[in-house]
Amino acid sequence: MDEELNQEQQRELHGHLKQCSQCQALFKASHQIAHLFKTAPEPAPAAGFSVRWLEQIDNMEKRKNRVILVSTLGAISLATLILISTVGLELRSVVGNFPQMMFELVTLITNWVVFLNQVSDIITPLFRVGAKLLSPVWLYITVFGLSGITAAWTIAFYRSREMQKEISS
Amino acid sequence: MCETESQLIAEAKAGDKEAFSILVEKYQKPVFSVCYRMLGTPTAAEDAAQEAFIRAYQALDRYDPERSFATWILSIASNYSIDQLRKNKVTILSMDNDKHAWLAPPDPGPSPEKAALDKEKNALVQAVLADLNETDRAAVILQYWHDYSYEEIAETLDLSSSAVKSRLFRARKLMAEKWQEMQLISAPKVNSAAKRIAHETSTI
Repeated sequence: MDEELNQEQQRELHGHLKQCSQCQALFKASHQIAHLFKTAPEPAPAAGFSVRWLEQIDNMEKRKNRVILVSTLGAISLATLILISTVGLELRSVVGNFPQMMFELVTLITNWVVFLNQVSDIITPLFRVGAKLLSPVWLYITVFGLSGITAAWTIAFYRSREMQKEISS
Repeated sequence: MCETESQLIAEAKAGDKEAFSILVEKYQKPVFSVCYRMLGTPTAAEDAAQEAFIRAYQALDRYDPERSFATWILSIASNYSIDQLRKNKVTILSMDNDKHAWLAPPDPGPSPEKAALDKEKNALVQAVLADLNETDRAAVILQYWHDYSYEEIAETLDLSSSAVKSRLFRARKLMAEKWQEMQLISAPKVNSAAKRIAHETSTI
């Protein structure tokens, strides 16, 4: 039937078909089916098939674009929400601790003021006592002595630099 | 493949839907025919054929230009129809089903007599195909209506040539048995239609 049989095989088949009524009936039925298939009208789609296809593709693309747009907007909204929540939580912790922070700042400043007052309370009498014990002559000697030492050191420093320049040149 | 067809495919690959719609126009009939024979109703065939073209358009990047476009698109349509039958267990039109048995084919003939005869023949075709499993049915359709060789059927349905041969052998036997049954059953419409075909073949 598939034109695959050689002449010998075809002879054998036809010989068998003449003898076997069952196979003959099947062969006949197959032949009739092949005829039915050949003569059956070819189904065709309703007019405008390609137009409907184009519409479907357009709709699909629109849906796809809408999904992309919604997803993008969703992602941006989610990111914004996360950002706002994070910043909000940070602000909340700052706002929540603000009185404590202010209290600590005031305490620190107060402590420093107290400390400086106490230092000044210790140093001021010492200066007063020292000024009373030392005569003005000793004060002048000390001031002029320190100034002389500083001037001598500065002159010596500049001279040593000049000498180093001369040696290197 | 002609030059114009390869040009259209290249343009469609670049995103030109209009170019692909020309291919849809060209291959709509064979694709619809496969889907109709597989699924049995014009509505299911329309949906399946549309889906086959959509899948082809979306998979154009994977299309091998060495392969025939017709074979490729029919392969998509056949496999999609097989999947649909397996998924939904769509019952193919049967002569026993009075509600749908004489459903009009999509394109009836010009005269009422011709239209009635076409209806009968289509119903007979669907009844004969009804008992075949999905893959066997696809193999039969591709061989009888699209003149596919064993190798082409094997390529389309992803089977070996020997598997196609044995499937077609089994399918032919089943169809012949069904045909004999149909000639014996009492339904007058079925009986007369089948007998008419038998008479036609005897006169040939």
